[in-house]
Amino acid sequence: MRVGQHLLELARAGGCSSLFVVGTGKNVGKTVAMRAIADAATARGLRLGMTSIGRDGEAVDISDALAKPRLFLRPGTIVATARNLLPPHPASELLDFTPWTTASGAVILARVRDAAYYELAGPSTAGGVRACVRRFADLGCAQIVVDGALDRVAALAGGNDAVIVSAGASAARTMEDAVNDVRALAARLCIARVDRSQPFFEVDGALTAAHASRLASQGERRQIVVRDPTQIAITGKAMLGVAARLQLRCERPLRVVAATVASIGRDRYFEPRAFAQAVASATGLPTFDVYAGTMVDAA
Amino acid sequence: MKFANVIDSTTASALDVAWLNAQLEPMSEPGRRAYDEFEPLRPGHEQLARERASAVADLAARIDPSEVDALRDALRTMPDPLPAISRAAMGDMLEDANLLELLRFLDVAQRLHEHVTITDGVRRVAALLERGRAGKFGFYLSEKFDATLAVVREKAQAAQAEFDASRGRLAQRAARELGREELPGGEFIVMRESANVLPKGVRVVREAPTYLLCELELDDEALEALAKRDDASARVAVAEEAVRAAISAHVRECAQALEALADAVGAFDVRLAQVRFTQQYRCVPAEIVAERTLRFTDACYLPLQSELEAQGRRYEPISIDLSETAVLTGPNMGGKSIALRTCGFIALLAACGIPVPAHDAQSALFDEIAWLGIGAQEELGGLLSSFAREVVRLNELLARPASQPLLLIDEFARTTTPHEGKALLIALIRALRKRGHLAFIATHLAGVAAEAQTRHFAVRGLRNVPKGARAGDLQAALASLAESMDYAVAEVRDGGARQADAVALAHLLGLDDDIVAEAAHVLHGEAAT
Repeated sequence: MRVGQHLLELARAGGCSSLFVVGTGKNVGKTVAMRAIADAATARGLRLGMTSIGRDGEAVDISDALAKPRLFLRPGTIVATARNLLPPHPASELLDFTPWTTASGAVILARVRDAAYYELAGPSTAGGVRACVRRFADLGCAQIVVDGALDRVAALAGGNDAVIVSAGASAARTMEDAVNDVRALAARLCIARVDRSQPFFEVDGALTAAHASRLASQGERRQIVVRDPTQIAITGKAMLGVAARLQLRCERPLRVVAATVASIGRDRYFEPRAFAQAVASATGLPTFDVYAGTMVDAA
Repeated sequence: MKFANVIDSTTASALDVAWLNAQLEPMSEPGRRAYDEFEPLRPGHEQLARERASAVADLAARIDPSEVDALRDALRTMPDPLPAISRAAMGDMLEDANLLELLRFLDVAQRLHEHVTITDGVRRVAALLERGRAGKFGFYLSEKFDATLAVVREKAQAAQAEFDASRGRLAQRAARELGREELPGGEFIVMRESANVLPKGVRVVREAPTYLLCELELDDEALEALAKRDDASARVAVAEEAVRAAISAHVRECAQALEALADAVGAFDVRLAQVRFTQQYRCVPAEIVAERTLRFTDACYLPLQSELEAQGRRYEPISIDLSETAVLTGPNMGGKSIALRTCGFIALLAACGIPVPAHDAQSALFDEIAWLGIGAQEELGGLLSSFAREVVRLNELLARPASQPLLLIDEFARTTTPHEGKALLIALIRALRKRGHLAFIATHLAGVAAEAQTRHFAVRGLRNVPKGARAGDLQAALASLAESMDYAVAEVRDGGARQADAVALAHLLGLDDDIVAEAAHVLHGEAAT
């Protein structure tokens, strides 16, 4: 199976040209998924724009000095990355400076002229990411891929993006934990649109764990409505508990199209088929294993 | 701006210098550096102040406001060239981002060619960098710099294609043997059960109980292609570094001229902000004189004018002619404090060589403009009473060595007994006159000017009794007051006292009717006796 192509098609099915890959933690296969999608987009001749809300594509993990998957980008790809991370060779075509800064310097927009390894470190604020996506579109990018950090889902607000969630063995002690983490992430991001014909209660701003707990203990039966899923400031097990006790709804749902799994962790392995199956069941999303080249349909 | 050489923080707060700074703020980093160094002029630099103000006014008259906005917009997006210039000057090799910064800077400088001087050396750098222009705004270390780049890049691309083909063949073969459509670019999983023997060209990276983590193993042909690709890439690196080094050397040779141009662009950015200010507020250059004087006609205190206009209210300009210490009286809310602030504002702008918001103006350069009184942020601790704080502040001001200060004193001694306050104020006026200081002193205390034998100005005050507003409607009360108040400042020559209109104002502002009536009764009774 050509996993990259399938993921790309799912992402583009609703007419979205921007795709966020959001992981449950570090080293859960986001870069590998992005690489597969980028390769598929390049093969289809789509002009690609890529950035990362954190940092992506570095040769080694800063925290443990272990090797990480790298991003080998093809000519024509446009990146938004810190100017100090641009490879000096081969030279890139520099398109524009931006007002966004990172720990590695100001973010610059550049076009890949000759294939090379690139590290991505783009804007870290939600507003910056949205503006960056718009700049990519202005530059004619037909497909935009953003490595979206878990703690930066606010960047999804106000956009019309496809979202892929990634789970991996590196981010949890057991398969059950990893599945619960991605179940919570998907539960949070996949909240359905409010049904205005039924009773509802609108939350002004973010729904916190304390507020949700209060509503649940009051036996609230109405739909609890937030502007969009990024307004839910609850994660992990707490999110699963809230999702089970309250009817969470939103005005502007996100389009979560797939999940990916990485069964190889730094210190542990999960059985790949069982992991993919469990993630598909837990999230209700078609789940891809880029490493194995397989897909499990939630249905 | 280095306002601190003529005003302290208390005065800056009273005059709302933050508002002025926001108006005069340049757009670019070189502009901000120039603005940081820009300082008001002190006595002895009258000619320079005149020249500065004329230059700003001349440019404001010549240049269309839309062009000012367009130039400021260009300056706003202009990168700071100084880091690149400094690196080159120190012998560093510039990165491509530095070269883009210089290209963009030179684009803006070129746009300002009527206002800044561009030397031949700078033109040569611009022409060199032009070879790297990609699209309208981008930069690429292109083959136009050196034909060698084209050759090595072409070879590198061919080598990359050869390696891709080699690796692709291996990947296709392995995928076919593993029964998969494709293999991903890096590591991949092979289930143990599905591959008792791994295909040739696949090696195990890690093992797990049920699967193997594998990657492609390059064969001799692919390894040779890889070596060729790496060699070609290294040649690209060498060629690109050589081009960057050559450009950097060129920039180094012209570093001084580029830095001078950056300074000139920064100075122009500062001037352009003043031009915009001049156009926006219809300012005129003040006549700068050596004599200790401050005179203006129809001047505006712009921070308040802007605030009122934002509320849809009208601002009434004022005229003042001050050549010696003078007293200002007038009703509450008649604009005494604003008259003092207008004096400080006009004097400060004149000292900066910036046209002033008035019909016409004449000003000396003051080596200190100082505010004493209400309206300034109190810096001293809470242990002191209001009166004590004033006295401490006054001591401080009098101890300063300014030879030509402008003192703006707002209701000094208002919080002590009126007869002692008046005595202190008269004594202060006499002392200031003795020192030859120019001061404008607002007070409600009657008879101060006459007893101190000094000039007396007054806000004209209420034209009529303002219409009462609905109780609690402060905005309506203020609007009604503004309609009835004549804010003009005129010299009082008959020595007569002016009333503060306090009872009428208290009534307008909603004070209990019985209290107002009783106050009027008391007031008229006193007047009769």
